[in-house]
Amino acid sequence: MFLPFLWLILASLQSEREIMLRPMVFIPEVFQWQNYVILFKKYPLDKYYFNSFLVNSSITGVVLLTSSLAGYSLGKLSFPGRELIFKGILATMMFPVFLFLIPVYYLLKRVPLVGGNDIWGLGGVGFLHSYPALILPFVVNAWGIFLMRQFIIGIPNELLDAARIDGCSEFRIYGNIILPLTRPALATLGIFIFIQQWNSFLWPLIITTSAPKIMTLPVGLQLLRVAFASARNQHYFLAGLVVGIVPMVILFLVLQRYYIKGIVMTGLKG
Amino acid sequence: MVKKQVRRRKRRKSKQALIGYLFLSPVFLFYSIFLVFPISFSLYLSFHRWNMLTPPLKARYVAVKHFTYLLVQDETFLIVLKNTLFYALGTVFIGMILALIVALAFSRTKYSSIWRFVYFAPVVTPPVAIGMIWGYLYRPTDGLINTVLRWFHLPGQQWLSSPAQALPSIMITGIWAGVGFTMLIFIAGLKGIPEMYYDAARIDGANFWQGFWHITLPLLKPTILFVLVTGMIGAWQVFDLVFMMSSGGIDTGVVPFESVGVVALHMYQTAFRYMRMGRASAMAFILFLVVLAFTLIELRVLHRGGVESY
Repeated sequence: MFLPFLWLILASLQSEREIMLRPMVFIPEVFQWQNYVILFKKYPLDKYYFNSFLVNSSITGVVLLTSSLAGYSLGKLSFPGRELIFKGILATMMFPVFLFLIPVYYLLKRVPLVGGNDIWGLGGVGFLHSYPALILPFVVNAWGIFLMRQFIIGIPNELLDAARIDGCSEFRIYGNIILPLTRPALATLGIFIFIQQWNSFLWPLIITTSAPKIMTLPVGLQLLRVAFASARNQHYFLAGLVVGIVPMVILFLVLQRYYIKGIVMTGLKG
Repeated sequence: MVKKQVRRRKRRKSKQALIGYLFLSPVFLFYSIFLVFPISFSLYLSFHRWNMLTPPLKARYVAVKHFTYLLVQDETFLIVLKNTLFYALGTVFIGMILALIVALAFSRTKYSSIWRFVYFAPVVTPPVAIGMIWGYLYRPTDGLINTVLRWFHLPGQQWLSSPAQALPSIMITGIWAGVGFTMLIFIAGLKGIPEMYYDAARIDGANFWQGFWHITLPLLKPTILFVLVTGMIGAWQVFDLVFMMSSGGIDTGVVPFESVGVVALHMYQTAFRYMRMGRASAMAFILFLVVLAFTLIELRVLHRGGVESY
C-alpha cells in the first residue's frame, strides 16, 4: 500500500547516475537533498503553492460561512418549503460536473467591467484570468450544508428558545451560540473542503492553462512532466512529486481525527 | 390574552421565516447562478451548434442531431461509454470487496491508526500526482512493478503501453487510491453493529462465516448502499487519473484513445480542444441520464431488503 510512496521518496533523493542504474537501486548512497534546492530554482512550485493556498483557503472560508448559515436555517428555523429546499440541495449532488463546465466558463468570461470587458461583458476575458474564476464556482457546497444541518439539528432547542426569550436576535443566536457549539463540525468541514479543493484538477486545468499566473499546484505538477521530460532530469521530476504530496499528507496526519470524523458522519447518515 | 399570545407567536413565526430565507439567500443566489443557469444553458446548447466565440443566442439549431450522432454514428462515444461502464463497475465492486476485507481485519487488530494512515495517504494525495507516480511504476522496461515481478521470476507486463492492459492498469491505480476512503466508511458501519448479535450467534454455535453472512452483511446494507451510490457517481466521472495515465503520461508509450478513453476525457477534448460545445453538452446530458438511471437501479435493488435510511 505504502510502497509507491516509499519508492518515490527514495528515488527523489538519488543522483542522476543512480536513478539510471539497472537493475535499480532503492536506497541512495548519499541522500541528494540538493535535488530539492535545484528543483525550486528551476521550477516555480512555490508560486503554485501560493496560488493553491490562496484559492483553497478562500473557498474553505466562504463554504464554512454559507454552510453554517444554511445549516442553521434548515435545521432550526421553521418556514414553509424547508424540507423541499433541503431535499433539493441534496439532489444537486447528483449532477455530473460536466454539465457545468461550459456554461460557467462562458459566464465567467462575460462578467461585465472586469478583465477588459465592457458593460455588456464583451471584448475581454472577464474573470477568466483571475482568482475569482477558481473560487466563485465552489463557494457553496451541498455536502457542507448537509453536514452542518445534521450537526446543528442536534443542538437542544431549549438553548435557542431561552436565548430568544432573553431577546436575542437570530443573528446573535447564530454568532454567539451556533458557531461556538459547532466548532468541531466546522473543523471537520473545513479540512474536508480544503483537501478536496487542494486536489481538484479539472476546473483549474480548464481555467489556468491559458492563465499561468493563477495556476494551482495540481496543474503545475502536471506540467512537471513537460518541464523535466528528459531522462536526465528524472530526479527533479520525482522530487517535484514529493513536494506536491508531502505537505497535504502531513496536514492530514495532524488533523486526521477531524477528517475521519467527517467521513464517518457522511457514511452513517448519508 | 390568549389571542395576543397567538398573534405574537404568529409574528415570531413569520419573522423566523424571513430570517430563514435570509440565511439561505447566499445559497439561493449561488444555485441560480451556478446551477440553474448552467443546466438550462447546457440543455440549450445540446440542441445547438456553438463554438464559444459567436453569441450563443445566434447558434444554429440542430434539433436532436447531437444525440443521434453520439448514440448512432459516433463509434468513439459508444466505446468510451463502454470503457467508463467497465471502469465504474470494476473499481467500485472490487474496491468495495477489498475495503470490506481490510475493514474487517482492522476491527480485530491493534495499532489500527497507523495502518489507517497507510491506507489513507493515497486519499489525500492529488490524483494528478498518483497518476504520475503510477505511470512511473508501470514502465515496462524499468518500472518498479515489473522489477518486482522479475524477482519472483514472473513475466513483466506491458501495463499502460498495451491497449488491452491500459484501462485495467488505470483501474488498479483507481482502486488503490480509493480503498482507504471506502474502508473508513465500512469501519464506521461495522462499529454500528452491536457486539451482542455476534455473542448470541457464537452461543448458538455459528462460525465466522455464518456470522458474516447472516449478521454483518445484512446490517451493513445501508453502508454498502452509500458506498455503491457515491462510488458509482464518482467513478462515472473519472477524469484525473485517466488524463494523467493515458496519452500524455511519461514514457508510457501511446495507446489508442479508444482503449482508455472515458466519457469525461472525451467530453473535455470535444469541448476545450475542438470547441464543439453543443456536442459536448449533449454528452454531459447523456452521462447525467446514465448516472441517474444507475443510481435509481441501485436504490431499487438494495431497497428491497428493507433499508429505510435512503
